[in-house]
Amino acid sequence: MNRDAIVKAVNSIFIERFEFEEADLTPEKHILDDLGLDSLDIVDMIVGLQQKFGIMLRENKEIREVKTLGDVYALFEKLIAEHPELAEKL
Amino acid sequence: MNRRAVVTGIGVVSPLGNSVKELWEGLLANRSGVRAMPEWFDHFGKNIANAPVSVDPVQVKQINRKVRRTMGNAALFSGLAAQEAVLSSGLDPALFTTGRVACVIGSTVGSASSMTDACTAEAEGRRDDLSACHFFRLMSHSSAFNVADMFGINGIQLAPCSACASGLQALGAAQELIRLGKADVVISGGSDETTSLVASSFQLLYALAERETPEPDKLARPFDANREGLVCAEGAGILVVEEYEHAKARGANILFELAGYATNCSGWHVSHSDEAQIANCMRTALADAGINAEDVDYVSAHATGTKVGDAAEAAAIRSVLGGNVPVSSLKGHLGHTLGASGALELAAVHGMMQHGVVLPTRNLEQVDDCSGILLPRQLMDHKVRVCIKNSIAFGGVNASLVCKAID
Repeated sequence: MNRDAIVKAVNSIFIERFEFEEADLTPEKHILDDLGLDSLDIVDMIVGLQQKFGIMLRENKEIREVKTLGDVYALFEKLIAEHPELAEKL
Repeated sequence: MNRRAVVTGIGVVSPLGNSVKELWEGLLANRSGVRAMPEWFDHFGKNIANAPVSVDPVQVKQINRKVRRTMGNAALFSGLAAQEAVLSSGLDPALFTTGRVACVIGSTVGSASSMTDACTAEAEGRRDDLSACHFFRLMSHSSAFNVADMFGINGIQLAPCSACASGLQALGAAQELIRLGKADVVISGGSDETTSLVASSFQLLYALAERETPEPDKLARPFDANREGLVCAEGAGILVVEEYEHAKARGANILFELAGYATNCSGWHVSHSDEAQIANCMRTALADAGINAEDVDYVSAHATGTKVGDAAEAAAIRSVLGGNVPVSSLKGHLGHTLGASGALELAAVHGMMQHGVVLPTRNLEQVDDCSGILLPRQLMDHKVRVCIKNSIAFGGVNASLVCKAID
């Protein structure tokens, strides 16, 4: 799975759950400071990513440390490299 | 100085429309909000009647996402009704953050549909799919905190949770907060949403008018000899309750006074109406208002169309007021809007005060066991200056609010 597909899948969570436009979603955007998500949104981001990629993330320490949207893309690039079967669910 | 509580704004979401104007016009035209519910057919195996509301998705989207995300339907109805109430009151939004504005809104449960969704997710092993906001939608005070957050209200927040008396108890609490000096303004009322499970809870008790009929609008018939039970409905009624001098000082349009309030309970049965305690409640509310029984012009009854409940309330009204005061129930038009009903029906009471009329009880054709009180069957010209609004609820709860026109 290439990076574009990962970006598209991650962005779809932000569009569907948090009502952003695609153009708002660039990798350097800080999730809290720039996009304005709060603690409840972060939980919902994790729930959305779990559903999208079919992987449990609640106990994943790295997802709780992401700061920017680019960090989320990078995390899923890494996860999919480790677990290629995740890409099949998209 | 005695502090008096007055109403300076009203907003509704109702089966007859989502504004006070639409509600009043619908009632005046004797329309019904009740329809068959084919969407519940799988649950009941027949077309059950219900009075749903319909909201404009564009208007809903205008509510800030961070508030909207924790709203189930009941809180959403409260929010939309509160917007109308606040707008009509002309309140300065700067007041909301002074700590002197309270938010008191009740409902039977925070959101019946959200509760069903959570239970279904748990039963199907999908607990991890639930949104972080889900629990906030079904909490009992969901309407109160969501409306407080919509407006930035940072004073007292309360949520009476007494089934179908929730809305009227909320308004009673609002009146008391104003009188006690704990708030100058209270955004207050009730809301509820219906689901097939809500209707089932009444069906189980033989309290639902569940007959399948080509004329579902005829099913809700409070006080009628052939009444078959209640028809569920949903909506919200929100009032801006304000201290009289505060309202006067800002030149507000004062609609009426919440002159007296009482609430009690039967103390012996959760579902059986208690004639004596309903009467006591009405008498105590009148005493609180300092108004004599002979000065009451109208009773907006709780009567939902159940056999036992309507007869008990009619007998209580007869014992307190005699048989010459016009009485009507709006549940023939609206169905039973549950926790919203007490507050929502006050919007119509204000219309009656304004226009000098008493609305009849829709579908009332023949009186039998509810006789001995004056039950108009058509629109009646009648000056309404003092009204008693009753709510009667599971848990043996009664509430009566005395509303009085302002000179």
